[in-house]
Amino acid sequence: MAEKKVTVASSVGLHARPASLFAQAAAKVGVPVQLTSAAGKSVNAASILGVLSLGIGHGEEVTLSAEGDGAEAALETLGELLNTDLDKE
Amino acid sequence: MTDETKPLAELLAETSINLDASASSRDDAIRQAGAGLLAVGAIDEAYIDAMIDRENSVSTFMGEGVAIPHGTLAAKDSVKSDALSLIRFPDGIDWDGNDVRLAFGIAAKGNGHIALLSQLATVLMDPDKAEALRAATTTEQVYALLESEDEDD
Repeated sequence: MAEKKVTVASSVGLHARPASLFAQAAAKVGVPVQLTSAAGKSVNAASILGVLSLGIGHGEEVTLSAEGDGAEAALETLGELLNTDLDKE
Repeated sequence: MTDETKPLAELLAETSINLDASASSRDDAIRQAGAGLLAVGAIDEAYIDAMIDRENSVSTFMGEGVAIPHGTLAAKDSVKSDALSLIRFPDGIDWDGNDVRLAFGIAAKGNGHIALLSQLATVLMDPDKAEALRAATTTEQVYALLESEDEDD
């Protein structure tokens, strides 16, 4: 199991636009990825509804985890995305 | 989440719900969702154009036949108060290739939308509740479903 802790950089948190971009990216990495909030709730990172349900705010630390071939690379890609301010257009 | 979070049912006025709508296009559907927010004075009219701008930038389709049209950050000044509207399209709308049955218009000041979206997503993540909401024909059913998420809090 690969794990990566990331701080969410999006200036207003993982609301609709960043959550949607993140979930779309998670669906493309090739391995199932879990997103866990600071409160300890886990969801499928590729589910927009799941990501939104966590209500993750700016600066919150979340954990990404995945298993199998390519897990490390997938977490690297998604971690970078969360480290980016996705609200910048 | 802060204590200021209002329950979804309180944000959704009965006059902002239309459970038997049809729309000629995605933009028409968004304008109807915007009109529901306008009707309760939650936004000024400029916000509706911002909702379409947002949709053109990134789809607000969430899965489960639901879209959550809302304005851009730049349009925050057009929001007067936090509110939801709900438009149901029994025949579905072609929403950039997705079949949308429910459009929740969203107006939120400040960071209120994070908690609001979290509450809404939590309801919709339950496939049975999402299906019941897509099939709802009375406002009583809608309110009962939106309030049901408080159970495990």
